[in-house]
Amino acid sequence: MAFWIELVIAGLVSGLVIGLSALSITLVFGIARFPNAATGDTMTLGAYGALIGHRITGSLIAGGILGAAAGALVGVLGYLLIFRQLARRSNVALLVASIGLGFMLRAAMGVAFGHSQSVFQLPLVRPWRLGEVPIQPNDLWLALAAGSALMVVFGVLYLTPIGRRMRAVADDAALARVSGISPDRVMIALWVLAGAVAAVAGMIAGIKTVVSPEMGWDLLLPAFSAAIFGGIGSPVGAVVAGLILGVAQEVATPFVGFTYKIALAFVVMLFVLLVRPRGLFGKLEGAR
Amino acid sequence: MTIDRRTMLQAAGSALALTLTPATGKAQGAPFRIGALNPVTGAGSPYGSGMQKMILAAVDEVNAAGGAGGQKLEAFPDDTQTTPQAAVLAAKKLIEVNKVKAILGTWSSGVSLAVVPLTNDANVLLMNTSGAPALSVPPANAKGLSYRFQATNDRFGRAFAEIAVKEGYQRAATMAFNNASGIGNTTGFKKAWEAKGKKVVEEVVYEPNQSSYRAELQKVLAAKPDVIVMGSFLPDTTIILREWFQTGAKTKWIIPGWAANPQLIAALGLEATEGLISVDSVSNENAPSFKRYDALHQKVTGQPGASNVYAAMTYDMVITLALAMEAAKSADVAAINAKIREVGNPAGEEVFSFADGKAALAAGKKINYQGASSVLDFDQFGDVTPDFGVFFITKGKLERRYVVKI
Repeated sequence: MAFWIELVIAGLVSGLVIGLSALSITLVFGIARFPNAATGDTMTLGAYGALIGHRITGSLIAGGILGAAAGALVGVLGYLLIFRQLARRSNVALLVASIGLGFMLRAAMGVAFGHSQSVFQLPLVRPWRLGEVPIQPNDLWLALAAGSALMVVFGVLYLTPIGRRMRAVADDAALARVSGISPDRVMIALWVLAGAVAAVAGMIAGIKTVVSPEMGWDLLLPAFSAAIFGGIGSPVGAVVAGLILGVAQEVATPFVGFTYKIALAFVVMLFVLLVRPRGLFGKLEGAR
Repeated sequence: MTIDRRTMLQAAGSALALTLTPATGKAQGAPFRIGALNPVTGAGSPYGSGMQKMILAAVDEVNAAGGAGGQKLEAFPDDTQTTPQAAVLAAKKLIEVNKVKAILGTWSSGVSLAVVPLTNDANVLLMNTSGAPALSVPPANAKGLSYRFQATNDRFGRAFAEIAVKEGYQRAATMAFNNASGIGNTTGFKKAWEAKGKKVVEEVVYEPNQSSYRAELQKVLAAKPDVIVMGSFLPDTTIILREWFQTGAKTKWIIPGWAANPQLIAALGLEATEGLISVDSVSNENAPSFKRYDALHQKVTGQPGASNVYAAMTYDMVITLALAMEAAKSADVAAINAKIREVGNPAGEEVFSFADGKAALAAGKKINYQGASSVLDFDQFGDVTPDFGVFFITKGKLERRYVVKI
């Protein structure tokens, strides 16, 4: 039993990273209506931002805030300089532009920080034992960080006027505009949120693994699948789907081995989408 | 006749080219072109720029001694970025645009395995520092144009087994990164370990770029091994060892030197790395050729030569190639290729530098170049057998305790 609980915990922690990055993708998709391939590199930027903040201040919280700010800044700049200019183009044009932005970010970080790995210098701690099950104190902190990031995002989305406007634009952009909602302010709020959430995901991934310019790009595929699996445009769906994918991967390993665990997560996703094409929490969109 | 702009440019261009071509003596034709294709960026970056600088320095050394086989050498540096994709593009450029006859210094098996079909098709020599066993045999080495200056992963695995026996371990488990190099290490270990009548209690092959390796570790540790033998690289080793230390387990580790290096110690700290065993091939440190290399390495990088075993290999590549050219008295790749074993293997007078080898060849003697990286005796597959240094990480320093010969 303890064996399985350990696997589930490992899966939940991996799932949080997937879920947060999927949340960033799904927010952009829901409101700006294109798949943002620069999400992975925004994660990397968040990880480097947090790393620098942590080195300067010695505090992970300060580092996390700096990382999130860096992610938000890149989100807003990407919108103002690129995506706003292309707003009337097809979403394929926007997708390609976001791939280009991702390349630029990755190359710039490669030049600035080098290609060798960096790590968060955190003290290594022995686990607490809950009966048979070892619990990593670090995992709890990371889960707490992820949880607070989620609370902020959902708080903004569901409790503030700007969040209400964002949801209105997501539901029906044309109707929102005729109701007098300024698209620019909504978009800037969106990119701040999406950039910061991706950055927090990147920071958590960076703390758990190693920080390198390619790390975010490597995590992009599971993030996209979680966004689709959860129902594209659904914030709750993205997080839940991320957790399910993470847990499914780890729990599958005794049966399929480690090489095929990634494939297994995708089998789960395919199965759900066959039964429920709009994803876990997706809404049916009528033809416009 | 009308002269359009294109014709004019061509004419002007060829006139310019003529004036720029240096007056060449009979012995000096066009230079023999080689590509210095090294991991300047990416996972190999701690080694790559040193490898490249030593190729350029060795080319200067050969040219200063009057060139090889009547020709000067000319090197074209490029970067593999330690990825097969970038390496293939760079190799294509070196072969098709720069017209190189040999590519020297590819690092990482994935890169060498991706480049070798191109060099084979173009009938170009490839000298690599990678470990994958697949590089020894067809299709990779179907034409016998590929030479390896590093030990194969299989030989690394055999060295790991020698060390595990010497250290008195009984229950060994293995963890391998899922590629030719990682699995090569652990299968080489398993073969040699089982030949000694021991058992491997658990084997795990894991995928790159995972956010956690806890499930993999859980499986390995459940078999209660006393030592875990790795076929791994730096980033995954960092993550695995961090998670291992945090489980509180007390296993010993045997790890290849390119993963258990000073960067790993910097990433994990003193406590978690204490007692790890890091194994790497060691240079031919008592040979005069190593002293030459060491002095040159100091000069061009400011670091001692022993800090980069791969730089010693790339230095030897140029010297070996140049000696083979000298012996072949030709710039023809097939003729040079036929002479590589002749100048590197016994029997013959042992020589330790290009100039000495050239002089001995001129005197009509057979030679056996003793390299800076190893004695460089190529077997039928173009592989060499260096010795292995066994380093114990003690208080954050890699401390060499003994050398293993296989």
